[in-house]
Amino acid sequence: MAEPSLVFTDVNERQGMFTRRIFLMGGLVAFGMFALTGRLAHLQIVQGGKYKKLSAANQYNFRLITPPRGNIYDRNGKLIAGNRPSFRVMIETNEVKNIDDTLDQVSYVLPQTLASRRRILRDINQNQRSVPTIIAGDLSWEDFSKVSLYANDIPGVVADMDEMRAYYYGGAFSHVVGYVSKVNQKDLDNEKNASETDFNLLHHPSFRIGKTGIERAFDKDLRGVAGGKKVEVDARGKVVAQDDEGSIEPVPGKDIVLTLDADIQQRAIEVFGQDSGSCVMMDIHTGEVLCMTSSPGFDPNLFVSGISSDAYKLLHDYDRVPLLDKALSGTYPPGSTFKTLVALAALENGYDPKTTHTCNGVFPFGNHVFHCDSHHGTLDLHGAIVTSCDVYFYQCALSVGPDKIAALARKFGLGQIFDIGIEGQKAGVVPDTAWKRAYFDGSKPWRPKDPKWQPGETPSMGIGQGFTNVNALQNCVAVSRLANGRKAVLPRLVKSVGGKPYKETEFEDLAADPNHIAFVRAAMADVVTSGTAAGFAKLDLGPIMMAGKTGTAQSHTIKSGSRATLHLEWEKRDHAWFVAFAPADAPKYAMSVIVQHGGWGSSSAAPKAREIMRMALLKDPEIQKRIIGVNPADLVDKPLSDVPLPEDDAGAAPPPPDTLPTST
Amino acid sequence: MVDSALSRPGQRDRYESKIAQIDWLFVGLLCCLTGIGILLLYSVGGMKWDPWAYKQLIFFCVCLVMMCALALVDLRIWLMGAYWFYGGSLLLLIAVEAVGDVRMGAQRWLSLGPLSFQPSEFMKLAIVLALARFYHECSAKDANLSWKLLIPAAMIGVPATLVMHQPDLGTAVLISLTGASVMILAGLNWKIIAAAAVGAVITVPLAFQYVLHDYQKKRILTFLNPEGDPSGDGYHILQSKIAMGSGGLLGKGLGLGSQSQLNFLPEKHTDFIMAAVCEELGFAGGFVIFLLYALIILMALRMASLSHSHFGRLAAAGATATFALYVLINGAMVMGLFPVVGVPMPLVSYGGSAMLMVMTGFGLVLGVKVHRYQELPRQASIFQRFE
Repeated sequence: MAEPSLVFTDVNERQGMFTRRIFLMGGLVAFGMFALTGRLAHLQIVQGGKYKKLSAANQYNFRLITPPRGNIYDRNGKLIAGNRPSFRVMIETNEVKNIDDTLDQVSYVLPQTLASRRRILRDINQNQRSVPTIIAGDLSWEDFSKVSLYANDIPGVVADMDEMRAYYYGGAFSHVVGYVSKVNQKDLDNEKNASETDFNLLHHPSFRIGKTGIERAFDKDLRGVAGGKKVEVDARGKVVAQDDEGSIEPVPGKDIVLTLDADIQQRAIEVFGQDSGSCVMMDIHTGEVLCMTSSPGFDPNLFVSGISSDAYKLLHDYDRVPLLDKALSGTYPPGSTFKTLVALAALENGYDPKTTHTCNGVFPFGNHVFHCDSHHGTLDLHGAIVTSCDVYFYQCALSVGPDKIAALARKFGLGQIFDIGIEGQKAGVVPDTAWKRAYFDGSKPWRPKDPKWQPGETPSMGIGQGFTNVNALQNCVAVSRLANGRKAVLPRLVKSVGGKPYKETEFEDLAADPNHIAFVRAAMADVVTSGTAAGFAKLDLGPIMMAGKTGTAQSHTIKSGSRATLHLEWEKRDHAWFVAFAPADAPKYAMSVIVQHGGWGSSSAAPKAREIMRMALLKDPEIQKRIIGVNPADLVDKPLSDVPLPEDDAGAAPPPPDTLPTST
Repeated sequence: MVDSALSRPGQRDRYESKIAQIDWLFVGLLCCLTGIGILLLYSVGGMKWDPWAYKQLIFFCVCLVMMCALALVDLRIWLMGAYWFYGGSLLLLIAVEAVGDVRMGAQRWLSLGPLSFQPSEFMKLAIVLALARFYHECSAKDANLSWKLLIPAAMIGVPATLVMHQPDLGTAVLISLTGASVMILAGLNWKIIAAAAVGAVITVPLAFQYVLHDYQKKRILTFLNPEGDPSGDGYHILQSKIAMGSGGLLGKGLGLGSQSQLNFLPEKHTDFIMAAVCEELGFAGGFVIFLLYALIILMALRMASLSHSHFGRLAAAGATATFALYVLINGAMVMGLFPVVGVPMPLVSYGGSAMLMVMTGFGLVLGVKVHRYQELPRQASIFQRFE
């Protein structure tokens, strides 16, 4: 070393610098560690509560448990709509590496999944990854067994059991009870204010919401309250443990009991076959609707798991409109069934029933000639109802005037909407001068300005044509009130919801002279024995007779001449009506039957009404007693020899109640 | 063994005196820290020794023996090997560029038969040794401010650029900061430090725009606003904070941390193990770990300052600086104070490669203490010859 002193100072300088800076560095490190510890304390102690909540939200999940939907029963406790087990196969998306490969494997076992591959992939994309997607639902037992056998070998594929809505009477209740289906955006919009549980339920893939009829109107009662299963999940959403204590049991939906009778309902659907129309039957004392059908029906079960668009198109395009509820939403001119009310209106307004008019088939009025389907000769009011003479009622209506007829028709329920719990009723039209003034105000092209009631419109109204339009329920209510005579009976469809009686209202008094009503009822009884319906509405139930009124309502304007329309193509034929009550001497049941484009009320509607009414009467123990002279309930414990038998059948064994003798 | 005995050359070269001079308290602290780490690896492995805890234990035992052996190595050997080690590491980094394996989108790994390793790990120690040797041979004046400082700048810059290109932002930053801290300790002029700091502030946005890869940019943006995308990239930071915060004062208990046991916490056994520690052992556990780290770092810095040789001082302090940077960056990262860069928590995180380098570094630090009275000749550097 040439300059040791210099080197020595240099060495000292370097060491000094290092020592100063190493202190600085130690200080910096200590500060850094202190800051980290401070941050740790802030996270863990100050903000600990907040993060504990977030951690719990990560760790625990509430898996929704869907509540079983409430059952719907008929008046006798027969199950109309319930839940049945359904087997299904699901794919747990977050367990599967290659979705296409897995679906290929499944399709070896379930070839039908090949066809719905696009739907499955779409559902997988839409669902959250932690929610399993249904590959195939409602499997047969064979398919389910096959899948269960192989599912263990295909990771991420699970076979399990679920509940599915089932409608046990197929098309018989398709409109009244309605159906459930998948929740759509419209349903969600309707329930913007739903509670959190309901919100989650609505978004659950297996939840179904009521779309029509009772299922829709009482959806909130039927659906119940969802429960929750508290589960511990990992970051991929896989359940690692269950916490039974933290779980909430679902509340099952409320059961609904209807006033309908499944036997009568089914009979009505049977009798109609592919004929288009509706049948409504009521108990005239309680107002309970025993039967309310719309034919042809459709199978509501198709809608539960989602109807294919082809099947829906078939239903939608069929000219007998199975999707329309003809009992409530279809309105038709009442035709001659309206004459009962015209006659009553006349009597109530001082019309003398002995007044006679002569019918020779035509009635010229103003510059128009009104027709009748026959030459009835000279008739009084009774005869005119029995023979359904149009010429008589043209003149009867003219002498009463439209306003008084309309007032009475409304009193008997026409033009009214009843609170029966379900939606879809159309009010129809009961025209009078005020209505015409209000309706034809020129506001729409089909409502030209024509406020004055033309005199020529009254004769049409007198035979239930013209503007007059009613639905089957209204016509049934009108007959019920006629048959009851004292009370303005109101229809009731829902007996109880969740065991509690549903809306029992007191009926108001019917402001009509009982003698006048008796007059009309007597005429209606004669319609069946000797009038227009003679031979078409004979019950064959011993002393039990039916009273009724036929109606043949024009659906198309026909030229003068032949009134028969059966030779025309279906959609131009007349609507056939039959309204009736039975027994004629002590009324209990009232009904209205409309066969859309059925032709004659007598030959098309009356036989159907008879068959349906027979079912109702045969089921009624009191009526049975009247038919065979003994209460069949009393037969059960008594020896056969004690049973008094019908006279003309003496010696034969007493028949079982459902094959009662058909002759007196 | 009396301390003064070390000043006698014949005495201090005997192995038993050297072994006695190893700072056994320091070794004990290392064992405590790694022990807690292994305990947590056992816990996050689902209360099983497999797959992490037992491997980590074996690694540590091997590394511990190696560290003690390295502590006995004469400082002259370190000094002589410094440039060779640096050069070798640099060649390996270039080799990675050419023939390295691509894993998880980055070319960092080099396979050698059954072994595969990241050369960038070696560089972290090599840069310290090479710079220490450079400054050992350099005058105080030159170390302060001189054109010669371009040499250490290049020594840092070349490997940092290579690592950055792999791409491995975390290691590149770590290599640069380690090198910078050695330069500062050697006596870099404050004006240059200030200028570099200002320069960094200016270049960082530019680098962000033009140099960083998309995923690196994303990480930094996520760090700035982790709640912006909680299920995507903000997920790691958010879940880590939830894990730590929910631990509270005393923690959820070993094996009971829901965030780590149910895999909400990403990389729970490597980069984010501190979050698992704080979740299961609470603030108490986290505090103890940070205390141990602080003690280890300060003891290591003290050992560095005892050395009579400039090389020893700088090498030990540099190795300690690397370790301290690991701890501070990882700690800040898991607590959401720093972007997510792939920097493990030394000794606690699972991983053999990182542990090997950390323990080699501490072997050097212990060796510097054992050989603290050793004077190293200040060889004439190539520059001095021309002066």
